[in-house]
Amino acid sequence: MKLPSLRLPDRIGWRDHLIGASLGLVYLVWLLATARSLGFPRDEGVYFHAGAEYARWWRSLFERGSEALQQGAIDSAFSANHEHPALMKTLFGMSGWLFHDKWHVFSDASTAFRLPGMATAALAIWVTYLFGARAWSRRSGLVAAVLFALMPRVFFHAHLACFDVPITAMWILCIYVHWRALKVRSFGWILAVGVVFGLTLETKHNAWALPFVLVPHALFVQRHAFVRALKAGRVAIPGSVVSMAVVGPIVFLALWPYLWNDTLARIQFWVEFHLHHDYYNIEFLGKNYFSAPSPRSYLPVMVAATVPTVTLVLFFVGALDRGAVAFRRVRAWLRALFRRPPGDVPPRDPLETDLLLALSFLAAVFLFLFRSNTPIFGGTKHWMPAYPVLALYAGHGFDLAVTAMGRALPRLDRRRKLATQALLFACVTFGPLAITAHSHPFGLSSYVPLIGGTAGGADLGLNRQFWGYTTQDAAEEYLNPKAPRGATVFIHDTTWDAWARMQEEGRVRGDLRAVGAPAEAMFSLVQHELHMNEVDYSIWVADGTDAPAYIVEHDGVPIVSVYRRP
Amino acid sequence: MTSPTTACKLRAALSRTSLQRWAFLALPLVGLLELTAHAIQTRSVASGDDWVTARAYVAAQAKPADLVAFAPRWADPIGREHFGPGLATIEREARPDETRFPRALEVSIRGAHLPAFDGWHRANEQRFGSVTVTTWENPAPAQVIDDLVSLVDPQHLRVSRGDADCNFVHGSPQSGNLGFGPTVPGDRFVCPSNGFVGVSVVADLDYVPHRCIFAPPPGNAPLRLRFADVRFGHTLHGHHALYVEAERDRKGAPVTIRFTTGGSTLGAVVHRDGEGWKPFELDTSALAGQKGDLEIEIASPGGERRLYCFEADTR
Repeated sequence: MKLPSLRLPDRIGWRDHLIGASLGLVYLVWLLATARSLGFPRDEGVYFHAGAEYARWWRSLFERGSEALQQGAIDSAFSANHEHPALMKTLFGMSGWLFHDKWHVFSDASTAFRLPGMATAALAIWVTYLFGARAWSRRSGLVAAVLFALMPRVFFHAHLACFDVPITAMWILCIYVHWRALKVRSFGWILAVGVVFGLTLETKHNAWALPFVLVPHALFVQRHAFVRALKAGRVAIPGSVVSMAVVGPIVFLALWPYLWNDTLARIQFWVEFHLHHDYYNIEFLGKNYFSAPSPRSYLPVMVAATVPTVTLVLFFVGALDRGAVAFRRVRAWLRALFRRPPGDVPPRDPLETDLLLALSFLAAVFLFLFRSNTPIFGGTKHWMPAYPVLALYAGHGFDLAVTAMGRALPRLDRRRKLATQALLFACVTFGPLAITAHSHPFGLSSYVPLIGGTAGGADLGLNRQFWGYTTQDAAEEYLNPKAPRGATVFIHDTTWDAWARMQEEGRVRGDLRAVGAPAEAMFSLVQHELHMNEVDYSIWVADGTDAPAYIVEHDGVPIVSVYRRP
Repeated sequence: MTSPTTACKLRAALSRTSLQRWAFLALPLVGLLELTAHAIQTRSVASGDDWVTARAYVAAQAKPADLVAFAPRWADPIGREHFGPGLATIEREARPDETRFPRALEVSIRGAHLPAFDGWHRANEQRFGSVTVTTWENPAPAQVIDDLVSLVDPQHLRVSRGDADCNFVHGSPQSGNLGFGPTVPGDRFVCPSNGFVGVSVVADLDYVPHRCIFAPPPGNAPLRLRFADVRFGHTLHGHHALYVEAERDRKGAPVTIRFTTGGSTLGAVVHRDGEGWKPFELDTSALAGQKGDLEIEIASPGGERRLYCFEADTR
């Protein structure tokens, strides 16, 4: 019997969507399988609540119609967490209602709430694969998607009902759709740019930076038409830009009912809230930063400390190669300008993909790299939209390595060639896979081997965690088996909502009672961060002992101390 | 036959070409190195047994006057967990500085050392698996005569605010979450209407703990502390600070602490926001060998969140 050929056609098509979607699906399954072992960060509790409120309103809209459209009804639901747009929270809430309350797909309501965020991680992988496959090769796309997925911080945030991975996914989707619209130039694709931009705006305010990517890129791609039109006395604005400007805001406003009343004032509040955001504490190189100026080295050091090194090396290889191509093009253009022979000119890319990716990367990191008054309390999550592009260049770097391997080993038959490529793939992905899998559930404490792993991060004085989500680990490892019935627990940085939900879902014993001060508690928790040391010392005096009864550790580094009053 | 020069050139060209040809191997090599480093790092954690063995050694070696300390600083909670409050006492953990200790047993992992022991003599080093105990000898330890922090009790201290005496109470400690400030200890002098004095642990500007006399000046009337029968030496040595969140923004009023004895002022020192755990030393040579009451006045023109703490000893 002869097996059908597995060779894919050259043209990128539905099979590639299938590959991208499958990669995303595998990641989604991994996220779902590990979701229960991750506690609830502070922000997540707020979004669970807001999501449930938003979903309640949408249901009431379909059940009661115009009654739900009154300002009182809208505001009572959407006032919760109105400093962030509604899209993801609405999805969290709808997912919680459908997959937990109604259909009982998930026994934990939190997993149902988290599902949309996880799905956006899958979407980001899918789009990254497609982008790489179309821009360079399927191999590039595959490696890019895998290396993006195998960033420990991405894996951590992908679990959460928060906005950081969703904005990463929507950002790269927006870039991709814009790129495709420039290529295909159909009405459907142009309309899609506006819709996706609106959805991205409706996901998180990082989207404000996207026009600085898409508009100059679209104008540059269509510069000849633009100049020709200008000479003819017309202004030819690219269709995707028009779509962004017209359709984007409509989608944005349509999906955020809170803005349907007092629109300008509420948009102004939203903008000002983020332009003048509070500073929270973050430790960097042993120093606690709680206000501007933020250190300029924060972004590069944190990227080097949290993104697997092999991914970064591949990124540099890929980016340098594309940078060299861009340099040769600029040099040829300059030579032509001075009427000199152009020399070696690389083939022109009509879509200016390198420019688009470079602008996208720069826009995502700009505020953190070049403005010292940008708050840095969220660590790496703030510039995560740059990571799909980073991964794409890493994918291209891998492609170059495979090509070089082909040159070095020209006599290999097809099977051996495939085997060596698979080996190369394993060499560059097994490390990130091991590091990412090992980081869970302490994704914020975990650092890459280049700086010595978790202990190396502690040595360097890099932030250990934030949001108080590790209380669940303290409960699983110590409180649940050891605490007497009805014991009081000082829960430190964990919110009351998060504690209540952990009890509701059986992660923390239901009889344990949370209290707000060490002096009231039989057990006291300290989630270790530099500025949280003061809580540690408070417990010493309140309890009369400085010796924790138990410590949750990751690779020998303290994550949570548990004190038991003598 | 080729000449030696041509052969050299050819070899160089060949090696350059072959270097370029195989340069791609650097990428999988980086991947494999990273994987190997990850495997080594995650398996080289100090075990509980290592800590327990080190503890037994330190318990046998440490004298009451010795310091027991852990390095690096982030390993401190693990050290306290394994060594317990008998060895890792609050007095040692929240020490004012290292000058009073004749010897230090430094328990460390990952080859770390505390900078405080730079200039001390390394007398011994013992390894217990991944845990190392280094014995350091202080070349010039200070002889502490009286430590005021250990004299905060009704037998040795009277506290007043304005004209009113502050009574000593055995109450419950008052503590809170992040931002609350140091725990108000259960055993404390409580002043009428406002103010208290007791021993607590403050987080300084670098989040380092210090055991000290927590005495926030209320603002309108100074706090007065009178220690009875203090034995004087050549100096009055001490430190003072405000709780980190009270002084890091540098917006608060300065706090002045004045020391007097027998009607004459020994000296006054001012703590301004942003100065952190600030040392001071007053010359008491004229009083060396004598005993007397030591009066301390703590005042600040603005009482807003002046969560002030100080320690002092005679030496």
